[in-house]
Amino acid sequence: MSDSHSYPHEPTGVETRKLGMWIFLSTEILFFGTLITTFMIFKGRDFPGIKLTDVYDIPFTSVSSFVLLMSSLTMVLAHNALESNDQEKTRVWLLATAMLGAVFLAGQIYEFTEFYHKGFELSSNIFSSTFYVLTGFHGLHVFIGVVLLLALWSIGQRQKGLSLDGGMNLEFVALYWHFVDIVWIVLFTVVYLI
Amino acid sequence: MSVDHKPHPKPTQYVQIALVLGVLTAIEVALYYTEDIVGVFTDPLLIILAVGKFVIVVGWFMHLRFENSLINKFFTGGMILALILFAIVMFERAAANFI
Repeated sequence: MSDSHSYPHEPTGVETRKLGMWIFLSTEILFFGTLITTFMIFKGRDFPGIKLTDVYDIPFTSVSSFVLLMSSLTMVLAHNALESNDQEKTRVWLLATAMLGAVFLAGQIYEFTEFYHKGFELSSNIFSSTFYVLTGFHGLHVFIGVVLLLALWSIGQRQKGLSLDGGMNLEFVALYWHFVDIVWIVLFTVVYLI
Repeated sequence: MSVDHKPHPKPTQYVQIALVLGVLTAIEVALYYTEDIVGVFTDPLLIILAVGKFVIVVGWFMHLRFENSLINKFFTGGMILALILFAIVMFERAAANFI
């Protein structure tokens, strides 16, 4: 996410690793696009058993959504601090992002547990299966993101500091994290509000 | 390749962008609870708001609007393919219900 510097040694003019990251995110769009499409096929149809609308808690999920949105802010502030070579602030914002991600995950675990207790289970019907697969895969992505953030924070603590060059790059982790956020923006509307 | 050197936002601008995202989320939730008043416009408005939030995060937080056009093409390509898939399946579903 640094300025689009020219890379004359690269045939594309873009840093290859960065281009690779964006292509990866592009494939992830297709992955979630498929899951969302499958979910939408069964949404609104009548199935035996309890319905999603009977169990979900919009105020709770709204707060979770807000938490994840704000984690994108702390992530971009971490990136901005690293561009200014402020290592201390970078680590603080990285840790804040990881914590917000963990809060979102805790919320999702709580929500799934509540749904199960109310009878909306993975195997209740095909619609409930699509719901858990879709939101579960998103949760898995958030979990991976939190692990990457904590790994970066740990690297920053142990070494002299983080850098935007080489190795496990904060820029790529930030791209991944924002991607997880935009997927949730779509899921929140498609799964819960519509 | 074209090289764009638009300046990135400053931290205070990022906070302002996040506040806009928060307000848009609040409007979404308000729309959900006022569906009886807003009526048939609820779903289209919710979709417009979600698209708006999506564009803001991709454009400003992921800095796509400052990036090389090749990156833009890959990301937009993925989006278009996913939307085509969605449209085809929804069309098939609607056709199956009609028959």
